[in-house]
Amino acid sequence: MSTTSPDVYNYTVVRQFAIMTVVWGIVGMLVGVLIAAQLVWPALNFDTAWLTFGRLRPLHTNAVIFAFGGSALFATSYYVVQRTCHTRLALGPLAAFTFWGWNLVIVLAAVTLPLGITTTKEYAELEWPIDILIAVVWVSYALVFFATILKRRVKHIYVANWFFGAFIVTVAILHIFNSLAVPVTHAKSYSIYAGVHDAMVQWWYGHNAVGFFLTAGFLGIMYYFIPKQANRPVYSYRLSVVHFWSLIFTYIWAGPHHLHYSVLPDWAQSLGMVFSLVLLAPSWGGMINGIMTLSGAWHKLRTDPILKFLIVSVSFYGMSTFEGPMMSIKTVNALSHFTDWTIGHVHSGALGWVGMVSMGALYYLIPRLYGQKIYSVRLIDLHFWMATVGIVLYITSMWISGIMQGLMWRAVNEDGTLIYSFIETVEAMHPYYLVRFLGGLIYLAGMLVMAYNVYMTVRSGRAEDAPVLASAH
Amino acid sequence: MKISLIINLILHPSAGWEAVKAEALSVKECYARYVIPLALIAPVASYVGTSTVGWRVGAGDVVRLTTDSALKISVLTFFAMLVVVYILARTIHWMARTYDSDKSLQECFSLAAFTAVPLFLVGLAMLYPMPWFVYFLGLPALGYSVALLYTGVPIMMEVNKEQGFLFSSAILALGLVALVGLIVVTVSFWGFGAGPDFRT
Repeated sequence: MSTTSPDVYNYTVVRQFAIMTVVWGIVGMLVGVLIAAQLVWPALNFDTAWLTFGRLRPLHTNAVIFAFGGSALFATSYYVVQRTCHTRLALGPLAAFTFWGWNLVIVLAAVTLPLGITTTKEYAELEWPIDILIAVVWVSYALVFFATILKRRVKHIYVANWFFGAFIVTVAILHIFNSLAVPVTHAKSYSIYAGVHDAMVQWWYGHNAVGFFLTAGFLGIMYYFIPKQANRPVYSYRLSVVHFWSLIFTYIWAGPHHLHYSVLPDWAQSLGMVFSLVLLAPSWGGMINGIMTLSGAWHKLRTDPILKFLIVSVSFYGMSTFEGPMMSIKTVNALSHFTDWTIGHVHSGALGWVGMVSMGALYYLIPRLYGQKIYSVRLIDLHFWMATVGIVLYITSMWISGIMQGLMWRAVNEDGTLIYSFIETVEAMHPYYLVRFLGGLIYLAGMLVMAYNVYMTVRSGRAEDAPVLASAH
Repeated sequence: MKISLIINLILHPSAGWEAVKAEALSVKECYARYVIPLALIAPVASYVGTSTVGWRVGAGDVVRLTTDSALKISVLTFFAMLVVVYILARTIHWMARTYDSDKSLQECFSLAAFTAVPLFLVGLAMLYPMPWFVYFLGLPALGYSVALLYTGVPIMMEVNKEQGFLFSSAILALGLVALVGLIVVTVSFWGFGAGPDFRT
């Protein structure tokens, strides 16, 4: 049993979120694999409304982003903020509330989305009562996090906490403003924004869900766990601060690239494109810092599978933050928009960067939270290779099918009529959808290997809270 | 061109890389004897394949490119490959010092060129340009190139295996970026009207 003595860290909430990261990861990815299979074999929706692609796709995205990614962020940020502030987590009961509240949100999402209860806003599909619960949980999260920062016993606020802090504050603002709505019934509401304003607010939210939830927060993970696991200081602390400010300033403007060639004013589209291109610089600042921190940990790299997870995650971060700005260029977007290229791009970020860095952090955390060495290092290595192979199959198949789709959709005869009907393009995608399904399946199987490894470690371990470190500086 | 060098590299990567290193090809020699002949495979095959054999999408009719269009695209592909190998060699050279290697551009160029051998060879698949056919052959070729990269870096760059692992990963990441860049440039060309010209 964990103690509640104030001189130990609050690992209880970290343990809870860490375990749920694995659980929700499996659930979310399983739904993803199911809908990938439905695209190959449409009969797999069994003509049942709540099993159709349209209902399950938002469940998949919500589960992997907010349940899997969110739990990973809660677990790591609660761990990192205590450790780097040399103090026990503030507001213990409120921290416990964030765990139960967040999981209640996830369960409610898992019930309402398959029932077809949705706002139809991408990545913000949950209806207004759940949105209010999210806001309450999120503000509690902010209170716990910043109260811990306030009672820190070191003068300096470590850069990982800057990233976590920015992620928490910005997500609160994004969620609250994007979700403002007029309720009609308990399960239906209408956005207070109309028409193109609604679209603009939605993608201001949507792209910053990527920029802050899936980037800033996970950069916080990178800045703690890479130096820790490599046992080396951050390559350039100055670079980390510079790219922090430039990243948060630039990301917030990039949303309009989701609305190229729409009714959004042309200048706003171009502005979004320019800011998206500028974003390459701060993104690569982070990547360079991560990779250079790892460089020099030579002796550990080949034998330590956790470091492999971390370096590959940073490489995918670099690749997808190059791909993103390129796809925001209007000429490129004219072909890539609505195609599988976008899906592939999202997954190189999600599976490669977010997934891999979370797994690395979890493999670091679990033994420390349970006072027990990891059950099997070889299984970590196996998981690493399964994850890598899965991603490669996923991304390459989506590149090919995306570009084919783009070309076929805009192929016209001399008289201006379309050469291909939509269903012909769907048919052409079949082999790539099969490969994508296999890639996802292998990635999911890797998660199961992880779950087994974590289970065996936890089973023989004991929940142990480490004593708080002495104040420093 | 020594065919044995290439066959050896494919069948016995470690010994093959040692042989490549022993050749000590200059950038010019490497271009003339290996890169240019090998890089011709894909454009020639795709010219023949896309203009005569054609491909089928779903249950649709056979699609072919006009010979003009196929020629244009093949020539552009050819030069793109020559350029990409050079850019890759330059980036490897640029990163070499970070990874404690003092090798010159010459070694870096041979490394980039011979790593790409499986990809050059699989260009032959373009004779039958069904997209799924090319993809299913291309993917293992890509995997083999990656494997060659990881065996080749410690040998060609004379770094220890630990450094070689990270160095190879960095090259791979930049290779992926180069690949994305190539896709983007291609798509931009199409966007500006230099797209493929189909006939059915």
